[in-house]
Amino acid sequence: MNTLAPLQRARAGLDSCVHCGFCLPACPTYLALEDENDSPRGRLLLMGALLDGSVNPDDPAVRRHLDQCLGCRGCETACPSGVPYGQLLEATRESLVTHRPLPLVARLVLRLFATEWALRSVLAIARLIRWSGIAALLARLLPARLAMPFAMLASSARPAPASYDARGDGARGTVSLLTGCVMEGLFTDVNRATERTLTVNGWKMRVTADQRCCGALHAHAGDAVMARALARANIAAFERSGAEVVVLNSAGCGAMCREYGHLLADDSAWADRATAFGAKVRDVHQLLASAGPAVRAGADERHPRLGTPVATRVAYDAPCHLQHAQRIVDAPLAVLQAVSGINLVPLADSDQCCGSAGIFNLLLPDVAERVLAPKLSRIVESGAEIVATGNPGCLMQIGGGLCLSGSAVTTRHPVELLDETYARAERPR
Amino acid sequence: MTSLAAQLGRIVGDAHVIARATQLLVYRSDALPGLQRAPARAVFPGTRDELIEVVRVLAAAGAPFVSRGAGTGLSGGALADDITLLGLHRLKRILALDPIARTATVEPGVVNAALTRAGAPHRLHYAPDPSSQTACTIGGNIAENAGGPHCLKYGVTLDHAIRATVVLPSGEVVILDRGDVARDDGTQGGYDLLGAFVGSEGCFGVVVDVTVRLTPDPERVCTLLADFTRVRDAADATSRIIAAGIMPAALELMDQPTIEAVESSVYAAGYPRDAAAVLLIEVDGAAAGLDDDVWAVERLCRAAGARTVRVAHDAAERARLWLGRKKAFGAMGRVAPHLVVQDAVVPRSMLAELLDDIAAIGDRHRVRICNVFHAGDGNLHPNIPYNAHNADESARVHAAMTEIMTRCIAAGGTITGEHGVGLDKLPYMEQLFTADTLDAMCSLRAVFDPERRANPGKVVPVRACREWHGVASTRHGARAGETR
Ligand SMILES: Cc1cc2nc3c(=O)[nH]c(=O)nc-3n(C[C@H](O)[C@H](O)[C@H](O)COP(=O)(O)OP(=O)(O)OC[C@H]3O[C@@H](n4cnc5c(N)ncnc54)[C@H](O)[C@@H]3O)c2cc1C
Ligand code: SF4
Ligand code: SF4
Repeated sequence: MNTLAPLQRARAGLDSCVHCGFCLPACPTYLALEDENDSPRGRLLLMGALLDGSVNPDDPAVRRHLDQCLGCRGCETACPSGVPYGQLLEATRESLVTHRPLPLVARLVLRLFATEWALRSVLAIARLIRWSGIAALLARLLPARLAMPFAMLASSARPAPASYDARGDGARGTVSLLTGCVMEGLFTDVNRATERTLTVNGWKMRVTADQRCCGALHAHAGDAVMARALARANIAAFERSGAEVVVLNSAGCGAMCREYGHLLADDSAWADRATAFGAKVRDVHQLLASAGPAVRAGADERHPRLGTPVATRVAYDAPCHLQHAQRIVDAPLAVLQAVSGINLVPLADSDQCCGSAGIFNLLLPDVAERVLAPKLSRIVESGAEIVATGNPGCLMQIGGGLCLSGSAVTTRHPVELLDETYARAERPR
Repeated sequence: MTSLAAQLGRIVGDAHVIARATQLLVYRSDALPGLQRAPARAVFPGTRDELIEVVRVLAAAGAPFVSRGAGTGLSGGALADDITLLGLHRLKRILALDPIARTATVEPGVVNAALTRAGAPHRLHYAPDPSSQTACTIGGNIAENAGGPHCLKYGVTLDHAIRATVVLPSGEVVILDRGDVARDDGTQGGYDLLGAFVGSEGCFGVVVDVTVRLTPDPERVCTLLADFTRVRDAADATSRIIAAGIMPAALELMDQPTIEAVESSVYAAGYPRDAAAVLLIEVDGAAAGLDDDVWAVERLCRAAGARTVRVAHDAAERARLWLGRKKAFGAMGRVAPHLVVQDAVVPRSMLAELLDDIAAIGDRHRVRICNVFHAGDGNLHPNIPYNAHNADESARVHAAMTEIMTRCIAAGGTITGEHGVGLDKLPYMEQLFTADTLDAMCSLRAVFDPERRANPGKVVPVRACREWHGVASTRHGARAGETR
């Protein structure tokens, strides 16, 4: 069997690279590691070399450079030639795992995310560690490298949740939230805030039972078999619930769901259903921004100023899988602008990856750390008190990094901030 | 005896020296992937001192080397044939930016657009704007004397370079300037040595740092898009605008195949797909009087036969129109996997005639030519997207290109406006210059690099150089000289 078959099938995409180098400055690993082997142009060339046999799939150096790719797809939005880098990377990784299995940690994590009861238990334990303060304690006591996972966990704690009675006319249609594993497990309040803000803005929420992990982690790591199984389960679940729109608040999961059609393209029984599912996917910011003035429900016009917050400096950091993969750039800013009292400050290089990238930060912590460092500096320079970003991985990677560096800056999902505005507006005075 | 790679590793750290063949693959070419040479090793210094030390070690070993910036060159200039590749991309610090004097001193690996970004808070920018500005380095710009759309009015790289610190291939560090401003020690004058260095394509030494001029952002900018049903008419409009004494900031022409490629890319700019050609014209300057220029340009375009003339109404639309132009080469990757890019300069008065001839050559060889170029300067870029895996097509493409270049030379033009000679255009040098002229170039080079260790075998074909001909140990040069 030709083990490089998935990459072979993606060959045309590889050929569309004209070698112009425009993607180099957009690549976080090239900027951090300073070797063109760790750049998009370099990796595409290595993929081509794998195909024409000039490098061996077992060459450790070649594997390292391909492994070190964050999959952030910053190169795609920089590329004038439209090279489908994300798909090429997944095809390459799928080809390579048939050659040599993933490291044990990666296999364990991926298996965990695909096994519902186990994932639930682990997330429950994680919540316990977080709630008990052990996470915060270990983050302070352990040496930096070991402390990072605990700092990430500690930073996922949310302030007391806003509570109010969200009402709306449901006139915009019915949507169903793909709740996501980490989102529902560690960012439960963000999911509830998502439901409330959508309701206020005129959507009717419908619950979809039997959802699974979206499979993004698996697809990115090369475990296409597992990714496809999870995709099929989700497609079927959402077909059953009959939602017109599938909404997500996690950029990484959203990007994956949109690409189910590509993932299942070779599966004749599922290809069309997968494409139809992908077309129904929307990011929560997209929906809220499309409601336009309905963000009026920010309601401060109705209840001017009473109990409104002091101005807070908020910087927006674009999750790669929102900005580069889904090409959603302005909608999150529109949502933030609807938050009363907000002082949006610009964040330099906000389109650069923070180094989270799925389970990348667990597998290659030193590279992730080098990619994160400039992000933290830019945040400090921006003078922001809150960094808003719409992806659980980024919330924790940046949050953990800030926590370890002793910074008081916190991370929030944009929807949480909007939700707070609504809560304050409803508060009796 | 320790290997050269080990010696270099001791200076820059082993992580920044590459000697494995599989990791050197990506350093085999620049942005012209059709040309490839395998370097023996690559070294990436991270500080000025490391760079100088590296060059000294290479000098002590008598080892030839090739400098490389971002590898966006389009003439194969940064290719190292079995010798050391010296990558300068890690030297990316902006050392000083003086908003009062309007100058900046930068390391060679600073990306062109990063310098403009750094100037933005002071309403300053770095004027030379090659289409590759988001990726190419200032060091590479100096080496190629890079130009760009706005160089029509503001001048090319040389016009913005004030002073450069250069490490000569011998390891000696020198400061080159144009002799026109007082130096720190109060002296002034002498030859314009910086003028000799800028455009020397890495053959004279390595840029360690360079001080450049920053340009104030114009008070007002106005961008027009004129579209034509005949390419000829667009060329004619160009001549009329220049003849009328208007100095546009930029004057760019794109023909139909180019428009088609751009409009199909993520950088779709809203160029009319059914036009035979569009002109992108920018006028800038003081707010007062600018409207007169805009009006005059519009009138001249219509007189030349423009179908419509549209004025960008805000900064966003202007940016979109420009982005399409700047990403045009890359967008051609959608048309076919490979691309030959040419860079000929011809007398502007002959533009219309030559474009007709180029189209005829393309038809005869059955190749698809995309023209996108700096019309105001007469700097043509006929590009041909093709599939290099198809031998017949490749042969036709190269035959067409050779014919186009020969035609441009016959029209009194030259073979490079901004991309350099490098390896790619060596064969044309003897068509263009007499043996005496080539000898003179060799003599000039000998002043900076008597051992010919910096970027050997580029720019001047060794066999054309009588003075050097027959000199031993030109292995690399001779090989490179025989590429065609
Ligand atoms: C899509 C596209 C569009 C382009 N558009 C333009 C354009 O509009 N105008 C234009 O002028 N060019 C253009 N170019 C060509 C290219 O970007 C320029 O030639 C640029 O100056 C090369 O810079 P670099 O850093 O990539 O240099 P490289 O390609 O790495 O090297 C180019 C040459 O410079 C030498 N060099 C590099 N750094 C140093 C140094 N520190 N000291 C001494 N020598 C050095 C190298 O030895 C080599 O000979 C374009 C290229 C592409 C791919
Ligand atoms: S920008 Fe696109 S075409 Fe250019 S080198 Fe990068 S991937 Fe290739
Ligand atoms: S996906 Fe991100 S890390 Fe990977 S090559 Fe592209 S820009 Fe670089």
